[in-house]
Parts: sequence; C-alpha cells; structure tokens
Amino acid sequence: MERHAQHAFDAEEVMAYLDGELEARRAAELAAHLVSCSQCQEVAQGFRALSERMLSFEVEHPSAEMNGAVLAALDSAQSSRAPGVNTAADRKGGKWRKFVFNPRVWAMAGASIVVALVVIGILGRSGLPVPGNLLALREESGGYKPWLSKAGPAAPRGGPEIYQTSTGGRDAVIGGAVPEPPPPAPGDELKAPENVGPMIVQTASLTILATNYDEASTAIEKLAAVHGGYVEKLDAKAQTGNARELTASLRIPTRQLDGFLADVRKLGHVEEETRSNEEVSDQYVDLQARLKSARATEQRLIELLGTRTGKLQDVLEAERELARIRGEIESMQGQSALLVHRVNYAAVQLDLNEEYRQVLGSGAISTGTKIRNAAVEGFTNLEEGAVALLVFVFAVGPSLLFWLVILLVPGWFVWKRYRVRARG
Amino acid sequence: MNSDDQLIWEFQQGAREAFVELFERYREPIYGFFRRRLDHPARAEELAQECFLALLQNVQRYEPRASFRSYLYGIAIHLVAAERRKAGREVVENEKLDSRAAQGNGAENRDAGIWVRKALGQLEQSEREILMLREYEQLSYGEIAAALRMPVNTVRSRLFRARAALKNQLLPVKD
Repeated sequence: MERHAQHAFDAEEVMAYLDGELEARRAAELAAHLVSCSQCQEVAQGFRALSERMLSFEVEHPSAEMNGAVLAALDSAQSSRAPGVNTAADRKGGKWRKFVFNPRVWAMAGASIVVALVVIGILGRSGLPVPGNLLALREESGGYKPWLSKAGPAAPRGGPEIYQTSTGGRDAVIGGAVPEPPPPAPGDELKAPENVGPMIVQTASLTILATNYDEASTAIEKLAAVHGGYVEKLDAKAQTGNARELTASLRIPTRQLDGFLADVRKLGHVEEETRSNEEVSDQYVDLQARLKSARATEQRLIELLGTRTGKLQDVLEAERELARIRGEIESMQGQSALLVHRVNYAAVQLDLNEEYRQVLGSGAISTGTKIRNAAVEGFTNLEEGAVALLVFVFAVGPSLLFWLVILLVPGWFVWKRYRVRARG
Repeated sequence: MNSDDQLIWEFQQGAREAFVELFERYREPIYGFFRRRLDHPARAEELAQECFLALLQNVQRYEPRASFRSYLYGIAIHLVAAERRKAGREVVENEKLDSRAAQGNGAENRDAGIWVRKALGQLEQSEREILMLREYEQLSYGEIAAALRMPVNTVRSRLFRARAALKNQLLPVKD
C-alpha cells in the first residue's frame, strides 16, 4: 500500500472508496479509474484480501443466559417506572423538590450526622480504622497503584453521564468520561513490585500545520537525532494541486520526550495533540516470573537427561520438552527486550501538514491535455450521436412509415375530394 | 424495519418491545466486541450484559447527537478500558488460559484467527481500536470518530496506517 507517485488517486483514497466513505463525485471518478488502472486494482485487491483474512478471527455465539439477565433487568426497570408521559428527568425534579422541602428529611439528616460523628469519635479513640483509614488500606492493598497517577494519562473530562454500577463486587465506569484516579496521599512512597520501577510505555501523537513546510520537514529528523531518537518511518505526500503532507513515526528516549515535543511544537500550529501512557509493569513482572520458571524447568530437564536411566522413549520425550522450553525462553527474552525498548523509547506519531496556498497554473492537468481530452470527448459525442440517430431511425422508422401510409393515403383522398367540391 | 433511533425513541416512551428488538439486534455484535478484546468468554458475556444494563439505565438521558451505534460502542469502549485498567493482571491470566484452550481445539480457522490476533496485538492501541471497529463492528468513519471522540480525518489516516501495518504482517509480500 505504498504511495503512488504522480498518480491521480492514492492508496488511502482507494481504501476510503472500498469502505464507501469517499465523496460521491470522487468515488465516481475512482470507480471509472479502477477499470483501467492495474496498480489501483492491485491496491484494492490488497485491502479486500486483508478484510477477508481478518474475518478468520471468529468468535463463538453468546450463551442464552445473557438474554435472561438483560431481559430481567428490563422488566424490573419497566415495573419501577411510574405510569404517565412524564420523562424521568421531570419525575426526578418533582421528587427532588418534595425531598428538599420536607422537614422530616432535614431532621433525619441532622440526626444521622450527629450519630456518625459520635461513632467516628469512639472508633478513633479505640484505634479501629475510621473510613479515611479504610480508604488508605484499600490503596495500599493494590486497589489502585498510586504511582500510576504520577505518570498516568489525564482522564478526559466532560461528555455524557458518568454511571457507576457494582456487579460481582467490582466497580465499573460506564457510558461516560473516565474519572481520574484519586491522587496519592501525601507521603506515599512510589513502590514498584520486585525492584522494578513503574514501567510506562509512552506514546504521543501530534498533528501540526506548518507555516514553512520545507524547514519543518527537514527539522524533524534533526530534532529526533538531537534528542537521541530515531525515525522509524517517514512517509511524504506531495500531490500536485494539494497541500503536502508528511507522516513520521519516531522513537524518542522517554526522558527526552517532553523536550522533543516542545521543540516540535515550535514547527507550526499544533492542530491536535494526544499523549497516552500504558502501564506495563504487570506484564514485565509476569514475563520475568514465567522466564524464571521456564529456566528452572530447563535446568531440571538438563539434570534429568544427564542422569538418564529411563526408557529411550522417555529420554526422547524429555529432549522434546527441553527444546520446547528453550524456544519459549527465547521468545520470552525477545518479548522482554521489546518491552524494555518500548518503555525506554516513546513512540511519537507526527503528522505534518502544509498550510496550502493555491498556485496559479498548478492544476493537475495541463492545458494541452485538457484540449486533447475535449477533442476526444467531442469526437466521442459525435459518434455516439450518429449511432443514437441510426438506432432511432431503425427502431421507430418502420412503424412511423406504416402509420404515415395508413393515415396519409385516406387523408389525401379526403383532401382531394374537398378541393374538387370547392372548385365545383 | 425500524431504525435504531426510532427504536430507542419508542423505548424512551415506554415500549418494551423496542428495547427487546435493539437487544436482539446488537446482542451478538456487542458480545463479539468484548470477546475479541478480552479473550475470556465468561467475562466478555458479563461485560456485554453490563453494556446493555448501562444502556437501560441511561436510556432517558440518551440524546440522538450521533448515531445510536456510536453511543452503544462508546459505552462498550469505556467498559473495556475500565476492565483493562482495573484488572490488568487478571486479564493477563485470562489470556493465558484462553490461548491454551485455543491451542487445544486446533481448528484450522482458529489457527488463522490466532495469527490475526497476534498481528493486531502488534498495532498501536488507537490504530488497532479503529481498525477493529471498522472491520468487525462495521462502523462508519463518522461513527468511529464519534465513539472515540476524534476527527474523521484522523480516523481515516490511522485506519490506513493500521491496515498497511497489518497487511505487511499477514499477507505475503509481492516482489
């Protein structure tokens, strides 16, 4: 799916066309173009083959139990609804007003606060955990990892409702913005499991509108090198009549990421910027544990083979197992190294767009070609017109002739008689 | 056949059958959404249930700003994110269990599916999500943009990148 140099359509447009997402006029042009362009046909075939291949990732059907739970919830929701046409919000508003202006509610609330204060006071003196301490205990026991909030992504705010439910003792956030994890309590140490620091894979994505595209595009590679990073992939598009685009995938040392991004932002107007952090400590620790266990197994197998006393079949079995374990160890070592590399080098996706200015005479098609195309079109129209006329004559001619004879001959006689009478 | 928006409107007015029809329509797709992302059938089923329960409980607040599908998959995306965040280790364990189960069955198509899954795992997260929403959930670019809250052009360019990367991994390279 590489870029088509000097081509009327790029691979991305072919993809959008196959997805039914190309603007109607452009889609019609591309459809006509696809008939004759083998290069584009190949690209389209590639996308189709990929979609077909992806369908091999099948999943089984859900069980019937799922229906029961949802339909039961539906029934209970329906029965709890008050009759009438009021919306839930209206009803809620009415109930809320009654609730707020009810003196009994106020009395109950006051009493509850007094009781709560007394209970907290007693518990505090007796050294039992008060609610605040309970929260701290929960955080310590791994309810959430405090060090994540330091480097963790800022949760998006706003959006639809935040709804919390509790199913099987587990809280889930549904249908709304993801809430920020609570900040770590002061004095909390950033502890990491088994002497491994918090491993965060950082990714950043920037879309920049460059005022000076040429300078900006050359600066990207230099900036990456200056900050100790490298360019993974660079894809430049410079189609005639369109703004130039440059897409770069970069790897920057994580410590240098902020500095690099600050420098990149100076290249133009930042249209979009996203950063995300993925915590992979668990994966790493898990991988190391599996690696350790696999090495121990390998060692045991080696010892076993060294003191072989069993049948030949058992020895062969042990050797096969040893080969398999070694394969696993190599694979896990590779994964581990990759993980460390991903942590050390942040992935930066950079889209650089040129601030496009229309240039006179920069049309995709030259004037000579336009005249030639017009001449070809004129000749085709003439040919089609002549063919259409012939088709009409052959299609309609015989019946027209027939009706003319049928109608004109008696008409002519009538007219002749009328003339004779008029003269007489 | 009634449109999704028509059905959700009817359900807001109290028509039980409208929700049942929506549920029937999206039961398998939503389960498939979680199943492809979570690897553990029972957990996928629980989350699919939670997704419909969330829809049920928030239905009066639903406003047809974007398509209903992008709203529903928006809920599903949040559920998966919450699941991954809160039970990261548990998910890893489940994945191990499942990959073992998959190897045991040994069906040809399942093997092909494992390759696709592995290749998808190599993609950058947002690109993978966009590609999966397009290929498996059949969402339009606009619906994906609404569900993930990003511009349509970004969806298109990331989808292209994801497909290019996946093609390199899955399809034979022509000389």
